[in-house]
Amino acid sequence: MSKSILIIEDDDFLLGLEATKLQKKGYEVIPAATGGDALKKIESNIKIDLILLDLMLPDVDGFMVLEKIRQNKDLLTIPIIVFSNLSEDKDVQRVNKLGVSEFMIKSNFTLDELADKVKNLIGE
Amino acid sequence: MDTVDPNLKKENKKLVDFCSAKSDLISISAHQIRTSISAVKWVIKMFLDGDLGRLTIEQETLLRKAYESNEKAIDVVSELLLLNKTENIIEKEFVIETLDIVELVDNAIFNFSGEAYARGIEIIFLKPLERLPKIDADKEKLLVVLQNLIENAIKYSNMHGKVFITLKKLNDFIQFAIKDTGIVISEEGKTKIFEKFYRDPDAKKKEAVGSGIGLYTIKKIVEKLSGKIWFESSIEDGTTFYFTIPMSK
Repeated sequence: MSKSILIIEDDDFLLGLEATKLQKKGYEVIPAATGGDALKKIESNIKIDLILLDLMLPDVDGFMVLEKIRQNKDLLTIPIIVFSNLSEDKDVQRVNKLGVSEFMIKSNFTLDELADKVKNLIGE
Repeated sequence: MDTVDPNLKKENKKLVDFCSAKSDLISISAHQIRTSISAVKWVIKMFLDGDLGRLTIEQETLLRKAYESNEKAIDVVSELLLLNKTENIIEKEFVIETLDIVELVDNAIFNFSGEAYARGIEIIFLKPLERLPKIDADKEKLLVVLQNLIENAIKYSNMHGKVFITLKKLNDFIQFAIKDTGIVISEEGKTKIFEKFYRDPDAKKKEAVGSGIGLYTIKKIVEKLSGKIWFESSIEDGTTFYFTIPMSK
């Protein structure tokens, strides 16, 4: 059974590129275009092996999504990669405090490097 | 302060607000630009990797150039963000608090894990075996000092290089050391490296993008925190920047 990745990304084009790459690597992708949409999917108890989280999102932002996830004990073991172009100190520290597996600045990585990180965290 | 002309105070407040608005604008614009250049990077990479079919030699050559050009744009945005942060910081009031230095260094490194990974560089924080005393300093400004030194160490290291960060007690101070295995500071640079807008000729060759503001600003911050900053640079040992901050009393 393939591993499932919840991609939370509001930019359609980037979401499409990320999803295509990860699907090609054999992962199942669950897309969410807003923080609210992501929280609904998380709360619906669908199988999620890893969360790829953008920070600047409409309605509920990525920090709030992260806080909600961290309040749910059932989700503690799910690896979270923050994949954002925000890199201000206050943002990085806020994310670091909440605890994530990786903080990646999108423009600094290729999609293959992202897929490698995912593989390191949850396997193929 | 009572004798300060109220009009002058008002104008100063306006200027501070303007600088803050400018800084926010740069930050938001940089985020938007990064989003666009990420998309360009990923799409070109897909072409280059053959995900979208075979390329002719001419197409591949042009796309490689486009990719390199886009990478330069990414560097410019990163430099702009660091400059934005560094330029404004010295003007802000110093807020002194008691800080755990290991946690502080961990925070600074976390910020660079992506950049180091992308360049194949390993950041190694050799945590002290004994528990070090805390320091009294401005957290935001000290982070800028650490980030500038780590950023430089990454930028001027060769691919697959290593950056070592160490801490130790030195009399009543904590000494921070950031060592890289990269290019050596030139003889000219050894006397001018902390001057405003100065960039070492070898550094310019390795990284065309740079403002020459970073080391100038962080020296000011370290000195304002009653510390000292200096460096050692040789072909055998690479370059190490040291700075000290007084321990909490």
